[in-house]
Order: sequence, then structure tokens, then C-alpha cells
Amino acid sequence: MTTYHFGRGRARWVPYLLLLPGIFFYVLIALGPSMATAVYSFTDATGLKGAPVHWVGLDNYKEFLFMGQASKDNFAALERTLVFCFFVTTIQFGLGLFIAVLINQNLKGRNIFRTLYFMPVILGAVIQGLIWSLFLFPIGGPMARVLEFFGTRSEFLGGQPSEAFAWVIAIQIWANMGTTMIIFLSGLQTIPTELYEAVRIDGANSWQVFQNVTWPLLTPSVNTNLTLNIIGSLQAWQLFLVLLGYRNGTQVLGYLIYATGFGQTSGSVTSSFRQGYAAAASIILFLLVLVIGMAVQTILRRREVRIMG
Amino acid sequence: MSATREAVLTKKPIPWGMIGSYVILVFFAVLYAGPLLMLVNTALKTMPMFMKDATGLATEFHVQNFVDAWNKASFPKYLLNTVLYTVSATAIYILTAIFVAFPIARGYVKYSGALLTLFVIALFLPPALIPQFQLILGLGLYNNPIGYIMLFIVNPIGIVILVNYIKTVPKELDEAAALDGCGYFRFVLEIVTPLIKPAIATVVVLHAIGIWNEIIAPTIYLTNKDYYPITRGLIVFQGVYGSNWPTLAAAVLMLTFPMLILFLFLQRYIISGLTAGSVKG
Repeated sequence: MTTYHFGRGRARWVPYLLLLPGIFFYVLIALGPSMATAVYSFTDATGLKGAPVHWVGLDNYKEFLFMGQASKDNFAALERTLVFCFFVTTIQFGLGLFIAVLINQNLKGRNIFRTLYFMPVILGAVIQGLIWSLFLFPIGGPMARVLEFFGTRSEFLGGQPSEAFAWVIAIQIWANMGTTMIIFLSGLQTIPTELYEAVRIDGANSWQVFQNVTWPLLTPSVNTNLTLNIIGSLQAWQLFLVLLGYRNGTQVLGYLIYATGFGQTSGSVTSSFRQGYAAAASIILFLLVLVIGMAVQTILRRREVRIMG
Repeated sequence: MSATREAVLTKKPIPWGMIGSYVILVFFAVLYAGPLLMLVNTALKTMPMFMKDATGLATEFHVQNFVDAWNKASFPKYLLNTVLYTVSATAIYILTAIFVAFPIARGYVKYSGALLTLFVIALFLPPALIPQFQLILGLGLYNNPIGYIMLFIVNPIGIVILVNYIKTVPKELDEAAALDGCGYFRFVLEIVTPLIKPAIATVVVLHAIGIWNEIIAPTIYLTNKDYYPITRGLIVFQGVYGSNWPTLAAAVLMLTFPMLILFLFLQRYIISGLTAGSVKG
């Protein structure tokens, strides 16, 4: 505690009183519900007001993991979540780094490129999704024309589930690459130019400069971006909602939780307001994020110690 | 032989690296601008023109698409709802957040460190989706604008950004102000707030964009059409007029264009918010 200058006695309580609303809202709306997810996962809660809630122990987890076709679908969604995370993270990370290095050169118009690539970040999932639905219009749309030129065609988002899924990955990367790039750019700007000049004088080529100066000194941004990309892509599903809807063969875990918790009917897939079950699925997704996140953190920290000492 | 060699050596080398960089950057620029240009082009066309040739350039300006979208999509109503939700939730949030962040940054309340940790761990906890819904339902605020706004009056990352920034404001200021008889409440609002404007701007912009673009919460919490924000309105509009791309494109464009203009002004705040804390030292 630091010395407080604004009075004693009763006046000393003023900062506490003013702090209270913010803490209260935070606990009520974010922290409390977040922890309560674990509690709900052991019940058969529904989304209906006044409906009785029973303690069901591990039933939701057992059902999610081991019961019939539904559990097979769940595992398929889990696998898809990991595939989505892998492709989005690696491509977005690689592309973001590559573009940041290009833009960081002394190029004319670099601000225009930077602004353009970063633009989708502000538009949000709905506009991103609708813009791309139009761009991927299968009958004579721009992308269809490009494919036509190469002598092929596609239904894009309306095609095979695997194809639609691949397009969502591409659009997710398009939408968020700007954030990765911006974080790398701010990292690049902390590297002193004298360092580059020093290795250049020693006769290093571009690749060697990148390998020996840029890459190791970029470690903090590398860590931030990898962590953000992995956690973000494991939990992302808004673009699926806008681009595809709840469609068989394309669901990821986040969407599945929403659909089981709040009801979602589309084609042959019907789900109900099973909120206890959805809470169990949330916990499983959370554990997945936790395990992967911690493993990555450990690897990154070891690497940081090795590089930065 | 030696003459040509000399000529090569003295001539400025072709900057292949630069040319390559530009080629790649322009390629990606097309990928980023292309979908937007397609949107503009489609919004200017009539439906028959679009069906005949989707990518062909619009030859004239069809204002009718915009009129249709404005009326049929209940654009003014939904837009007003979005503005209302965004402004009120952000205002409540930032006001409470300043009074949380300041005493924590200064150590004016007990357990400041633990309190800050409380906000940091939120980033690593399970999603609150289900219990949050039960809470709103229990409070009788389901399908109610107040319940909807309530969902958005917290944002732990913003607190962390504010705390870090307030730490750069010299502490001597507090003592001097107190000696002059300035009270705590007035000090925070009238002296600290102007000094931390850049951080406040960053947090406000990040928070407001999140609410503005939100699509999941309105799908869950709002069933009455009169309460829809514009994002939900657009999705419904797509459901009904999905095949009428010129009108849909006009609707999307009317929302996209002002956001892009705003983006150009707010870009630096968004960037500083995203990079806050990501670069050590």
C-alpha cells in the first residue's frame, strides 16, 4: 500500500466505494459465470425459465465422449477444431511475419499496404462473411472467373463440406492476418537499425540477416502471435455461423457448444436447449485450450531462455 | 571484356528485392481490396445485370438498391439500436474501469496486486456463455435491451491496459493535488482522466468495435426484432433477400463505408491496443 493523500477516516473509503461497481460487474457478468460453467456441466440445466435442474454427475461428459453417433460427431468436431487451429495458426503466422518484413523495408506506399491488410479487423465477422459470400458467388463471381481461367470450377461455400471448411480457413486468415502483421511490425521497429548495418558490413545476405538478427530479436512478438493465434483459432467460430450455418461436416467445437446450448436447426441436424451438456462441452474445449496453450507456453519460454539468455 | 565488366559494376544494380516485394504486396492488396470492390460494383447494379454478368462493371448508378436496403432492412432502426448499445455499454464500462484501474495502479486499495491478477486470469478461464445466459434469464432480462447492454460492461483487457498506462503518470501529482484540497473523485475525473487520454481512447475504441460487430450475443439474447442490432439485421436480411445480391450488397456497403472512414481515423488507437504489452522492453 502506498501513502494515500486524499484524506483519512471515512474519506479513506472513497477509492474502495468507487472501485466497487467495476469489480461487482466483473464478478457478476464475467468471472462468476466463467467459473460456474464447471458447475453447470454436472447438471441437466435447460435454457427454459423455471425448469427444474438436477445434478447428474459426470453424465454429460460420458455422453459427450462415449455415447453413440453423437460422440462420433463430437470427436469429428474436435478433430476439425484442431485442423482449423493448425492451418489458421501456421499460415497466419507465416504470412503475417513475411508481410511484416516486406512492409518494414523502406518502401513507398507501405502505409497504404499496411492499412489495407489491417482493414478487415475492424469490419467484424458479419461484414467479412457477407463480403466473401459475394466474392465467392459461384455463378460468374470474381473467384469463379479466376477458376474458370484455370479451367476448373467450384461451388465454394455451397460445395463439399471439406471444401467449404477450407474456404472458412482461408477467410479466417484473410480477416485476422492484419493483427499478426501489426504485432510483428511493432516488434520489428524495436530492432535497432545499427544491428542490421553491422551484419550487412560483415557481408551477410538477406536470409542470414533474418536468421541471425530479425528472428531471434523478434522473440517477444513471436510468442505473442503464436499464443494469440492458437487460442483465438481454437475458439473462433463466428465465420462458420455467417458463412455456412450449422452444417454437417463443417462444425467446430465452439459452434457445437452454441448449437447444443441454444438450439439450432439446419437440414438434418437438430439440437435442443441442453445447457448442462453444452457447459460440459465448454469445459472440454477449455481443457483443450489449456493443455495446448500451456504446452506452447513451455516450449516458447525454453526457447526464449535459450535465445535471450 | 573488362570494359563491360566495369560498366556492370558501376551501373546501379536492378533492385530485384524491391521489385519482388512490390509484386507480392500488390498481389495481396488485390486479395484485400478485391472483395470490397466487388461489393461496390454489385451494389450499383440491377438484379438482371448481376445475373447476366456478375463481375461486369456497373455502367450506371442505381440508387434504388440503397433505397430498398435502407427501407426493407429496417436499416435506420437497427443502426440506432447498435449505436445505443455501443455508446451506453462503452460509457458505463469506461467510467467504472477508470475507478478500478486507478487505485490498483497506485496501490491505494488493499490487495491491489491480487485484484489485478483477478482481471488477468479472466483471459484463461472457460467461456462464460451458458451461466451468463442463465444469469440474464434469472434476472428477467432475457430479450431486453438492458440485459443485452449489461453483457458488455466488462472487459478485463481494458483494465490491464489502463493500469499499465496510469503507472506512467507521476505520483507526486496526487500529493500536490491533495494539498491543494482536491478530492479523490474530482482528482481522478478532472486530472488523471485527461492525462491518460491515449489509453482511454485505445480501450474505448477496442471495446466499442467489439460491441458494434457482435453477432453471437444478439442471436442468443434478443428475439424481438425491434431490439436487433444492425449485425443481426443484416443476417436476417440475408436470409430473406439472400439471392438479391445487389440489394444485399447495398446494405452491407452502407454499413461498411462509414466504418472504413472511421477506421482511418481510429487506426492508431486500435493498433496501440493490439500491440500493448506484446513487445517487452
